[in-house]
Amino acid sequence: MTQSTAAQPTPPTTPLQLSATAYGWLGQFRAMASPCEILLGPCDELMARQLCAAAAAEAWRIEAKFSRYRQSSTLSQLNQHTGQWQKLDSETLSLLQFSKQCFELSDGMFDISSGILRKVWKFDGSDNLPSDDAVAALLPFIGFDRVELTADSAFIPAGMELDLGGIAKEYAVDKVGQLLLELSASVEPSLSLVVNFGGDMLAVRPKPNDDPWRIGIEHPGKPDQSAMLVALCAGALATSGDARRFLYKDGVRYSHILNPKTGWPVQDAPRSVTVSAPSCVMAGLLATTALLQGQQAKEFLQAQELKHWVID
Amino acid sequence: MQLKKLNITAALAAASCALIAGQSHAETAKKDALIEGWEFNSAFLYYKETDRVQAAEAILAARGDFGDDKFLNLNLVVDTLTGASATGAVAQPNAQSFTRPSGEGSYTTAAGETPLDDTFHDTRVQLDASWEQPIAQNLRATGGGHFSKEYDYLSLGVNGSLAWDLNNKNTTLSVGTALSQDTITPEGGIPSAFTPMLFKNNFGSESAYEQAFDQSRADDSDSKTTTELLFGATQVISKDWLMQFNYSWSQADGYMSDPFKVVSVVNAQGITQQNLYEQRPEERNKQSVYWQNKVHMAGTYLDLSYRYMWDDWSVKSHTVDTRWRFPVSNNWYIEPHVRFYQQSAADFYKPFLMQGQALPEFASADYRIGEMDAQTYGVKVGTVLDGGHDLGVRLEYYQQNPTNPGVELPGALANVELFPSVKAIMLQVSYSF
Amino acid sequence: MKHVGKLMLAALVVAQLSGCATLERVKPWERGTLAKKEMALNSAGLDNALDDHIYFSKEGSSGGRSFAGGGCGCN
Repeated sequence: MTQSTAAQPTPPTTPLQLSATAYGWLGQFRAMASPCEILLGPCDELMARQLCAAAAAEAWRIEAKFSRYRQSSTLSQLNQHTGQWQKLDSETLSLLQFSKQCFELSDGMFDISSGILRKVWKFDGSDNLPSDDAVAALLPFIGFDRVELTADSAFIPAGMELDLGGIAKEYAVDKVGQLLLELSASVEPSLSLVVNFGGDMLAVRPKPNDDPWRIGIEHPGKPDQSAMLVALCAGALATSGDARRFLYKDGVRYSHILNPKTGWPVQDAPRSVTVSAPSCVMAGLLATTALLQGQQAKEFLQAQELKHWVID
Repeated sequence: MQLKKLNITAALAAASCALIAGQSHAETAKKDALIEGWEFNSAFLYYKETDRVQAAEAILAARGDFGDDKFLNLNLVVDTLTGASATGAVAQPNAQSFTRPSGEGSYTTAAGETPLDDTFHDTRVQLDASWEQPIAQNLRATGGGHFSKEYDYLSLGVNGSLAWDLNNKNTTLSVGTALSQDTITPEGGIPSAFTPMLFKNNFGSESAYEQAFDQSRADDSDSKTTTELLFGATQVISKDWLMQFNYSWSQADGYMSDPFKVVSVVNAQGITQQNLYEQRPEERNKQSVYWQNKVHMAGTYLDLSYRYMWDDWSVKSHTVDTRWRFPVSNNWYIEPHVRFYQQSAADFYKPFLMQGQALPEFASADYRIGEMDAQTYGVKVGTVLDGGHDLGVRLEYYQQNPTNPGVELPGALANVELFPSVKAIMLQVSYSF
Repeated sequence: MKHVGKLMLAALVVAQLSGCATLERVKPWERGTLAKKEMALNSAGLDNALDDHIYFSKEGSSGGRSFAGGGCGCN
């Protein structure tokens, strides 16, 4: 999912549960306001438990570092010290550089500085639209091209606010996938592995004989409906959608997908876009960017030549 | 609002890869492969002893990944050796003349100098191949062969081993065996035991000398077979410490003398009366224990090993070998290397024989099976180049200090250097691609 | 037959080592360092091969790390 709901931060103490499945093991925990699953092929229980514990630890680490809900997070610290050069660790720098590339590739539509619009947009299903003036007043503080990056530091103009909600979860999926790959490489080099954080998922290693993983993902916007089943052999899936977050006024549905250039919702965007790509951050970026294309979403997705699913 | 460039997949894929693979747990950087699935390592070594032999050796090792944990390893070694080597004869207060091993020609050693035979010149080509693959869960097998050929020497061998991972791969047990058959065909033939080195000048005619020389030769060639067994255990001690313990046993049968080495027979004044070709036992049983540690400490990597070897020739040796790698700045490392070696003499090692005493069953004056200690000090500097290619340069100093195993030195021998040190430098360049 | 006796002894030593179940088991995700090529037992493969050949031809001992092999008339 792209924008996080105003969910409560997940305490890292959320227990990790491991259960046996018909095929192997399922580890479950919560992170980033999502149910997280680690699916493993057959291996011994201790190893499954250890791998899932490592996965949860990594997910919680990323959440603690990049959550905007935590005052102590690296991201919050960055946002509290705008208007000056700030030293960055290599991981944060990589994420910002990646965000910059995405900003450029998407022609400015994918913008991690656009979260500030939440100050005036409250997607609570009501008809409370912000005034034109209120939106316009925020526009000077949006535009990731105004953030300067060097090899080890960043300058965020005063008043701006960065929000990694659009990529942090996908990033966590990829990092956890990579971690599990490395950890299991020397012990169980062919162990089948899937990482699924609330529908953003990565099949780290396929099942033997290219038997696909069958994974249920929540239908965006229809949480009560039975999950749709996705068959995934290898690679990643990510979904972006407006879920329950919208405003409705005078017969117009205002999606929570905001155009960073105008500060207003993108018109005629699909309800949900799911993209399959080699990595989860890539799938997530493409799904979000597709939504931001509004009516042209399908055209954009077709041009990517990747498997995708669109729900209008 | 519409993207100018619609397809951003390729650019995004590259950016995503950089993001995910870029930091921390960085997987071993993949090399640009010359041939898909193959890894190559090469090294060139130059070895030079002060006043004695020099050698150049080149290795090309290739490892092919055939998927499913199956690998083919190929090794090609070419080396050349030139220069002078100790003959085993003792230094004398006067100049000495020697006949070359071929029987053709002679050379002279100056007074007080250790006799060295300067005819050594040999080129060797060695090929090894092995195949490894899993044969059951947690069980890997390796089988291989080996071929080595030089002018007067041929070695053929086969080997096989099994490695069994257990305890969640924290422990690996292995067992292996190797068989080899070596044939030596020295120029001038194999000298019979304790036949004296002949001098053409002592014979009335060329034909009389040739006849006597031929009679002193037992055969044109001889051979030996070697059987080895190796038992190993590798244990992960902690996340920063790996340990290996090996026990090896080898049995060699056949010709193990050196057809070019002699033992001097001296009189009570220490003056050489004649030089007899050496004779070693035709059987040798060697055993060794080897203990290796790999330890990661504060970002450095220590490789510390100890070997104790003993055999039924009474040679016992201790070897301590340490390499310690210190990573310094971007992709560079510096690795000091220290090695200490100490051995006791074979029971038939005799720096010389006394005139008038009965000949022993076996005798050799080859300092390499005498009492000695040796030290190596070296340093290697290496870097990882673009594309993941490793480049390293190693410079080492090696010194051997043969010592007297407690033999009383009669007359003139007390005043000459009988156990000279051997000093060598080694320069190695290695490159992987 | 004394060789057989020594082999038995070696086998016992190896069996003892394999019984190190009391050692703290290193967990899969703690193997990051062990998986590095610097930590491979034969990380200096060619250096070792060259050294083994030099020392084989200059000293009275050989083998230990791996098979001593035949293969050269230098000793």
